[in-house]
Amino acid sequence: MRGCVVAAIVAWACWPGSAPAQTAGARGNASAKSAVTRASDGIPDVTGEWLGGSAERGIREAGKAGSGVGGTGLNPSAPVTLSSNDRPAGREGAPYQDWAAKKVLESFNKRGIDDPTAFCLPAGLPRSVMLGLFPQQIIQTPKQIVILYEYMNTFRVIPLNAKHPDDLLPSYMGDSVGRWDGDTLVVDVIGFNDKAWLAGTGTFHSDALHITERYTRVDKDQINYDVTIEDPNVLTKPWTLHSTIMLREGTRLQEYICAENNLDPAHYEKLLKDGVNFTRQ
Amino acid sequence: MARRLCWACGLAVVLVLLTTPLLAHHSFRAEYDANRPVTLTGVITKIEWTNPHSFFYMDVKDEKGNVANWKFEGYGPGVLYRTGWTKNITMKPGDTITVFGWRARDGTNWAHSREVTLPGGKKLFFGPPAGTGDGGNAPAVEVR
Repeated sequence: MRGCVVAAIVAWACWPGSAPAQTAGARGNASAKSAVTRASDGIPDVTGEWLGGSAERGIREAGKAGSGVGGTGLNPSAPVTLSSNDRPAGREGAPYQDWAAKKVLESFNKRGIDDPTAFCLPAGLPRSVMLGLFPQQIIQTPKQIVILYEYMNTFRVIPLNAKHPDDLLPSYMGDSVGRWDGDTLVVDVIGFNDKAWLAGTGTFHSDALHITERYTRVDKDQINYDVTIEDPNVLTKPWTLHSTIMLREGTRLQEYICAENNLDPAHYEKLLKDGVNFTRQ
Repeated sequence: MARRLCWACGLAVVLVLLTTPLLAHHSFRAEYDANRPVTLTGVITKIEWTNPHSFFYMDVKDEKGNVANWKFEGYGPGVLYRTGWTKNITMKPGDTITVFGWRARDGTNWAHSREVTLPGGKKLFFGPPAGTGDGGNAPAVEVR
């Protein structure tokens, strides 16, 4: 069994690419809650299939009915979830330095045609965690936690109680190490490149990005996801976002080979060449 | 009073955010015009179940009998599978369907699909709502 899990992880790790969505911020209702699943050593067990960008609890079939997959299902009146291209929920804007805020706004006014994911590049963090529509699978062991993201087929291997290596290569998803703080999994992430967006159109970052994630499974169906984003090169202060990740038991992650038939960037170029103006200003 | 007003403003913001449409892999409004909805009935000629987006092609006949082939974009196969579609069964070449969507900005026979009415009358979403992936209603930063 362990061999199968390892084989699956290795197979996933060999895929190119990575994962997007975002949560509206509501943290579920008080009804229908059941106890947190726990591992044999008493800590919460976050193993399972999950969906970010949602606050809707329920099994996969319920998710199919609407908001669980982002308002795409059979119930068009179900609440839709935020896009990973949208401004994150909350009243405060991202605390970018003035020059950097102008750059973010430029992307917004260009309607996000420079979104790295439009070119099939990984969604990075925390975007990959918070995006809806595409599930993520968490595999927890005593020594490490592995997270597989359907979107862009990316992965994270998170050793527990370990230090970051000294020879990190900058990457889209960074280097993660984790530890348990009571019932909360705390993940420290560094080692990023500067090629992905954080959360929302144009939210670029530098290679000084440092992310601290806190995953708290509050009941069987829900993980509260609290993330602090630090980047002294582009932000004026840490940017904190709060979201939820909801259980979708039985979901089978699918292949997502983005380069297979990505027609949109060429379509943008053709429209621009033909003089079709789609910018906001 | 001020606190009540503040609370109301906050609620309004949250409601706006909650109704913001959902993620697509790319910018909807760069390519498609939300002010140009289109509903067409025709015969499916080809379906590409591909990532990051699926496409189907459909022959549409006008009042004069002229046939034009239209191209409609939609979700990738994983999302379609999870929302009730089965490849080569739910919709096949030769089927007559009706699709609601939005036209490309350049006015060509390329459109973004939303709701498909299948031969038996069943309705399914082949693509996301209008306006996804282009940044939503407000930038991530405060506008100064």
